Amino acid sequence: MTRPGGRATPTSGPAVARAAVIALSGLLGAGALAAPPPQPLVGETLYRRGLLPSAEPVQATREAGATLKGADAACVNCHRRSGLGSSEGRITIPPIAGPYLFIARGKSLEQQGVPFVDTERVNHEAYTDESLARAIREGIGANGKTLNYLMPRYQMDDATMAELIGYLKGIKVSPSPGVSTSVLHFATIITPDADPVKRRGMLDVMNQYFVDKNNAAARTKAPTLYSSHTMMFRVERRWQLHVWELSGEPATWEAQLRKYLASQPVFAVISGLGGSNWEPVYRFCEAQALPCLFPNVEAPVGHDSDFYSVYFSRGVLLEAQLLARELAQAREPIRRVVQVFRAGDVGEQAARTLQAARTDAGQQVVNRVLKAHAASKDLHAALREVGPTDALVLWLRPQDLKALATVPVTTSRVWMSGEMGGLEQAPLPAGWREVTRMAYPVDLPGRRVVRVDYALSWFRIRKIPLVAQQVQADTYLACGLVSETLNHIVDAFVRDYLIERVEMALDHRVLTGYYPRLTLAPGQRFASKGGYIVRFSDPQGTKVAPLGDWITP
Amino acid sequence: MRPRIPGWLGAALTCATGVLLAVATAASVSRATASYETPAVMLVRADGKSVSLPQELDDGRPVLLNFIFTTCSSICPLTSRTLEEFQHKLGPEAARIHLMSISIDPEQDTPARLSEYARKFHAGPEWQYYTGTLAASLAAQRAFDVYRGEKMSHTPVTLLRSTPGKPWLRIEGFVTPDELVDDYQKLLASP
Repeated sequence: MTRPGGRATPTSGPAVARAAVIALSGLLGAGALAAPPPQPLVGETLYRRGLLPSAEPVQATREAGATLKGADAACVNCHRRSGLGSSEGRITIPPIAGPYLFIARGKSLEQQGVPFVDTERVNHEAYTDESLARAIREGIGANGKTLNYLMPRYQMDDATMAELIGYLKGIKVSPSPGVSTSVLHFATIITPDADPVKRRGMLDVMNQYFVDKNNAAARTKAPTLYSSHTMMFRVERRWQLHVWELSGEPATWEAQLRKYLASQPVFAVISGLGGSNWEPVYRFCEAQALPCLFPNVEAPVGHDSDFYSVYFSRGVLLEAQLLARELAQAREPIRRVVQVFRAGDVGEQAARTLQAARTDAGQQVVNRVLKAHAASKDLHAALREVGPTDALVLWLRPQDLKALATVPVTTSRVWMSGEMGGLEQAPLPAGWREVTRMAYPVDLPGRRVVRVDYALSWFRIRKIPLVAQQVQADTYLACGLVSETLNHIVDAFVRDYLIERVEMALDHRVLTGYYPRLTLAPGQRFASKGGYIVRFSDPQGTKVAPLGDWITP
Repeated sequence: MRPRIPGWLGAALTCATGVLLAVATAASVSRATASYETPAVMLVRADGKSVSLPQELDDGRPVLLNFIFTTCSSICPLTSRTLEEFQHKLGPEAARIHLMSISIDPEQDTPARLSEYARKFHAGPEWQYYTGTLAASLAAQRAFDVYRGEKMSHTPVTLLRSTPGKPWLRIEGFVTPDELVDDYQKLLASP
């Protein structure tokens, strides 16, 4: 983010350039539409990307002489974006957000109005600018002891050091917007093209979860602990849900979301429901530095290198990768791949992903596009001329699958999307069942039953109608993950820290709903990585059998 | 001679299948001799080839083994940089020793991602990376006593062996490249 021609200071630089940088760096978490706070750009760029004001990579060495530079030497790798530290194995990486560095020995965190984090070491003298510079340059801590071997020794001039220290001092550890002394505000986002049945199912689960959460808190309510005049420790805050329903054209969604956020700041977005276009929501979350945790989106938008958008799975895009692998390994020669999808549905994006993968491999791929609202009988036309040596890939919804009953099967090499078709509930006609293999990006029914039953029982007891099982189970899982993570973050209600703790909490999670495992890390934004290829076992019913092991394409 | 470490630490370092003698040279690095039973699992090498773990380990060369994951941002870059320096410092001798890095996050670490990671650390041809099924990775982690429940709990462990059938030198902690060269040369010189 260093601009050519010099360094920006917290109070200098044209407002336009500053706004652009803020949008890119995603630091604007607070205040939404409020005026952006001054940004210590040099320090931030050094902290996050390991770049000096000259745009040269920062150089560092370790005790034993090993050198590292640039992104490899960036502070963020260990101390994380929040500046609140991390732990790996037996190694604890302490917080370096200013309040933790400059806290005086003998004073408790809460006396200083600083939230507890489990990586904090309170047994050091308060740093000064000088002793902190020595720690960064020479690896000597405030108490004169050598810092851990992991900590590099950095080379930088005094002015750059001052910028870095200024950045560390400016890292906020006070509660993010959307967190008051009594309420934690969360939002969930629903796009206008979302399935109305799934919408109802998701909201039923979320509303009930929030009611339960608040009831449980009320039942176990201990007296609020005021441990100092400046801070309350472990206060039970009420959860409040704000449903952000979008309307109109996708081009207007970001502005709508900004407006929602400005009128009611939230700590994070939990779950949510999309149709075929999640891009504006994704852009909003990244630009506003707002955690958007586990939305129900069949074609998620984003990259592993993002920070704020976290998904359970790549959905139909994962299916496309699974099928590309299948087609690459097909035993029988395939003349061409024919894909069928409806215009504007997520199948279109999946088909594009599959097409790119197979075209790169030199295979002919033909797309047959059904108009968005055309009658299902148009399938006849779309499947005309599909021959026995063609592979047919169906990116279709249940009603189109039903309509296949009147379409003759002309090839035995058929694959379909489980996510779009309804997994084992897919109403595939008998003749087609025999020849169709299904991408199945979740755990097998028999194996997930115990994990999903927990959610289903919860729905049953609370009389929540089961209308969209996976969406509802995933929503319940998303709420549970946030709740569990909040236990770990105690009082450090910092949005970046929430994401970092979700990453850590996920590996420990036993009840993972539809997914056999969920893992995240810095640089991982899709928690479940693979799927099965299955086939219906019988001409009728919902029994499916895997055609191999779990595959991670 | 290196001092013996207290029994409790030795017990803590003892693997399920081996007998070991643990010694410490510095506060943060400890060394032990241990024997492990290699599980007969198949792994996928970064070049995409499916290979047997015992065969890869027992190809006759001295072997250095460690466990990493590519999105690990603190410990692994340091241990990988150490191996890079180790290869560099060995010079022509580097061609004799087989370096093996097995992913503990195999679902994320596809062969393509491992190849990219290997390039980043200038891995020479004798340094190979492995992924595979989660079950295979877990079996390898358990066999070499590096499994710590989940990936974020892993600790830096480097294992060295001079020839198949010989015991392993187990190094826990952040060993430096120079120390590693020293360990390797001593291991080769020992009867």
